[in-house]
Amino acid sequence: MDNFLTVADFNRVLLSTVWLGPCYCLFGAIATLPWSTALTRGQGPRLPAYLNLLATAIACIHGGIAFFATYGRAVTYIDWPWLRVGDLVLDFSLAISPVSVGAMELIALLVFLAQLYALGYLEKDWGMGRFFGLMGFFGFAMTGLVLSDSLLLSYALLEMLTLSTYLIVGFWYSQPLAPKAARDAFWTKRVGDILMLMGIIAVSSLAGTLNFVELEAWAATNPLPAWQATLLGLALLSGPLGKCAQFPLHLWLDEAMEGPNPASIMRNSVVVGCGAYVLVKMMPVIALSQTALDVAIALGTLTAICASLVAIAQVDIKRAMSHGTSAYLGLVFVAVGFQQHDIALLLLLTHGIAKASIFISFGSVILTTNNQDLREMGGLARSMPATTFAYVSGALGLVGVLPFGTFWVLYRWICEPELPLWTVGLALVINGLSAVNVVRVYGLVFAGERTLKTRRAPEMPWPMAVPMVSLGILNLLVPLVMEQWQLALSYTINNASSQALSELFLVLMMVSGVSGGTIAGRLYFRNDRQPVSLPSKALQDLLAYDFYIDKIYGVTIAATVGLFSQLIAWTDRFVVDGAVNLVGLATLMGGEGLKYSTNGRSQAYVLVLLIGIGAMVLLASLSSLGI
Amino acid sequence: MILSLIVWIPIVGALIISTCPGEITAAQARRGAIATFWGLVVVTVVAIAQYDPTQGGWQLVESVDWIPGLGLGYRLGVDGLSFPLLVLNTLLVGVAIYSTKQGVPRHRFYYTMMLLLTAGVAGAFVAKDLLLFFLFYELELIPLYFLIAIWGGDRRGYAATKFLIYTALSGILILAAFLGLAASTGFASFSYDVLQDFTAGQGGGAIAASSQLILLVLILIGFGIKTPLVPLHTWLPDAHVQASTPISVLLAGVLLKLGTYGLLRFGLQLFPAAWHQIAPVLALWATISVLYGSFAAISQGIALGDMKKMVAYSSVGHMGFILLAAAAATPESLMGAEYQMVAHGLISGLLFLLVGIIYQKTGTRELSALGGLFNPERGLPLIGILMIMGVMASSGIPGMAGFVAEFLIFQGSFSVFPVYTIASMLGTGLTAVYFLILINRTFLGRLGGRTSNLPAVTWSERTPAIALAVPIVLFGLIPQWLVLWSDSSTEAIATLLQTVS
Repeated sequence: MDNFLTVADFNRVLLSTVWLGPCYCLFGAIATLPWSTALTRGQGPRLPAYLNLLATAIACIHGGIAFFATYGRAVTYIDWPWLRVGDLVLDFSLAISPVSVGAMELIALLVFLAQLYALGYLEKDWGMGRFFGLMGFFGFAMTGLVLSDSLLLSYALLEMLTLSTYLIVGFWYSQPLAPKAARDAFWTKRVGDILMLMGIIAVSSLAGTLNFVELEAWAATNPLPAWQATLLGLALLSGPLGKCAQFPLHLWLDEAMEGPNPASIMRNSVVVGCGAYVLVKMMPVIALSQTALDVAIALGTLTAICASLVAIAQVDIKRAMSHGTSAYLGLVFVAVGFQQHDIALLLLLTHGIAKASIFISFGSVILTTNNQDLREMGGLARSMPATTFAYVSGALGLVGVLPFGTFWVLYRWICEPELPLWTVGLALVINGLSAVNVVRVYGLVFAGERTLKTRRAPEMPWPMAVPMVSLGILNLLVPLVMEQWQLALSYTINNASSQALSELFLVLMMVSGVSGGTIAGRLYFRNDRQPVSLPSKALQDLLAYDFYIDKIYGVTIAATVGLFSQLIAWTDRFVVDGAVNLVGLATLMGGEGLKYSTNGRSQAYVLVLLIGIGAMVLLASLSSLGI
Repeated sequence: MILSLIVWIPIVGALIISTCPGEITAAQARRGAIATFWGLVVVTVVAIAQYDPTQGGWQLVESVDWIPGLGLGYRLGVDGLSFPLLVLNTLLVGVAIYSTKQGVPRHRFYYTMMLLLTAGVAGAFVAKDLLLFFLFYELELIPLYFLIAIWGGDRRGYAATKFLIYTALSGILILAAFLGLAASTGFASFSYDVLQDFTAGQGGGAIAASSQLILLVLILIGFGIKTPLVPLHTWLPDAHVQASTPISVLLAGVLLKLGTYGLLRFGLQLFPAAWHQIAPVLALWATISVLYGSFAAISQGIALGDMKKMVAYSSVGHMGFILLAAAAATPESLMGAEYQMVAHGLISGLLFLLVGIIYQKTGTRELSALGGLFNPERGLPLIGILMIMGVMASSGIPGMAGFVAEFLIFQGSFSVFPVYTIASMLGTGLTAVYFLILINRTFLGRLGGRTSNLPAVTWSERTPAIALAVPIVLFGLIPQWLVLWSDSSTEAIATLLQTVS
């Protein structure tokens, strides 16, 4: 019987090959290349779509079994050497822990659902094959990222995420706004990435390693003077700032909504989460500087408040929620700034699943109404039950009012004894604003009378309905999941002294959610569909246009780069080349004296020969002197 | 023997094509060039098999006294610095020949010149004698001049002459430095080993530090023109814009590498003490070059100008990284410099090739006139994907060779010149700015106007591009496959510099 593979053996094999998870997705992406490059003209795009679905499904199954196998085990590492030059030793390292494999499984699952959904969403799109390839690449980068235990590998995968964001946002590249949106997404993220690379170069020089485990050990020795630690921390912070769409690198997420909706599902849930995941991984190094932590908290707070307000002023269904994503990631930044990594990761989990659910319902709304303008919708709840279910369950998971996902996380967070009181206020305010937003969207889209555009709005066919309902159910199960695996995230129970306080907070949480929802309900659950506007037009525009941030970038950074390039172009033309012309070479080059058409070629010979002979004469004379 | 074959096979091929009696057609001439290329491939593979990557010193050495009175010897040899470039030369010549239009006018002269160019470049990379290097360096100049002047664009005469004058000046400066060096050692020999012994080895001190500095400055300006470094660069955009596609591939791919190779071989390695002395100035110069090239490329993007000019300026920026790495001269940065030479050779070769295909299909390289080429039915989708790959590799996106090179350069230089390194890294960010403008203007958007009915791209046009794309990815994923050839040599150079300083 020894020859038979036991369950334990099987699990061990699956665990040690968990790195295959990203590879499945990558395989799917590569297999799509002939379709992306139009080499298979005349073949439908279904085959690559199915191949990618299959690849992701295998990744899900592998990841799922591996996750159960990791449960309760110590973290193990898989290393392989990548680059050795001089003293520089760079290894790629994967950490296999319940958290990393669980995150991988969650991502693979969401990619699978999004791909299944895309089967319906992009049914008539000729670029479907390309889209699936890009989703596979997306999945590869993200699953790899959560497994990675090397800062360099994480950086590499973050950059690949940047690249694939560019390609996915620009998927409908012949539409007027998509190329600009894709470009802005790339540039904004790239700013963060380059700053982060500076930090990585610095930390690699200082610590001599880029392995997270070794970096943590190095950071524990407190090796840096304060100013270095601050610069380093800020540089490392910028990468996640861009990825998580935090101020001042947030404008891309709003524009990225130009991309197809199945990708928006990923983007608003796990893609932004990947940035925060890397941030948590880098925390031991960033935490060397209190200033860097304070900056993280300040930017997170600023983003959370501003983005929540901006979200409410949006009239585009996707943009209304994508600003909310920035807001929640702002809370994650605050939590990370206070070094509450468990809260941060849990918030990423619950927010990710809730947002995925909300965005999956949006796709269905957009596809069936051919419309993204909130003001022109209404009454969809009656005809689209699965869509409504996905939205409502997502909304419940997102807002802390009833005991679903985010409720527990926020509640646990504000009960943390060392959290300053203003942060409790922040969490409550964001929760309230978020409630306003989700109820507002519900009121405009799902409730009320049907409008011209939503009158004939059938529910989606099964490839879209199944993922929607699955995500909706998953959302409702999140509290149970957290209960089941809370130990995996080292849940700490409050001490009894603050028992009364925590009960007060519980009430406050509900009050914040309910009051937000009530306000929005009073304003938007109406049939007259009068647009709600703020008393000040200027203020409303300020919020609706996201504080004019793109204009501000236009007149500052873009203008500076433009100015410099004009200056250099002018210098190049008139100073550098001008100097050459001054020497008189221009007459020789452009003038009539030398023409290099058929008859004038001999002159070139002469010139070259002269140079050669001159050199030889010089040489001979020198050598005769020397000998 | 094997190195001689690499140099002489193209020369023999050129002789056969140019002197064989009777009329030969363009196809025959092309076949002759292709046969020569494959002969070169075989010899190169044999050389790869014979080369021992674990050794840092000279290998495959050949040495014959040629004109003893002059101290000129036919001395050949390769080390980890030159060997990858030699292989790159063979690859890019194949790409250039295969991407030449079938019915190129004056085909005999064309292929002769191209093969002579190959021989000149190969000879310069393997020369282990200063005077011999100079002869090959000049030899490469003449065919390139004709290749631009005859088969170039509308203003080819201007561009070719500008190129010739600049490069001739570069040659004169280098020759002056070589002669000066030989003179101060009594014209015993032009052998690299002998001269290096005088400047950096056991015979050190034979040349005063001040003379070394003067000689090094001559070398720097000479090879700085070739590299090119700002402000010695203005010949390059003109030459690129006017040269035909295969010539641009060679020019960016290997010809510029002669400049950086020369800086490392005859600057850093011959005058390590003087090099160390002026290293901060060099790092500053490199940073200026990087930023200048990047901003000049952006100005092409903002003005919706010529794609080729943009790629040419991007070369100026990216070659600046190599000087930064050479100035820092740590084992990592020198490896990065070597890596960047190969990576830039492949990437810029690919970019020029793709720009050439776009030009050939659409009839324009102006960003203002293009758009929507990604269209799968009537556009150039495969070329688009390769282009995205090329520009992303150039912007240093991981997974491709450019990232490894830049990472090594920055990592190696940071400990020596932190400020210049950080400033140069801005150049990497700026690369994404102009190349994204390029992609957005040419491939995204709507296909229309004059670009709506494009001729199909054939596999004979795609294959050379794919041949360049594969190693870009391969060396991006498994850098050790490139590192192992040069590791011991770059480390030896770094050690040399450390002992002197």
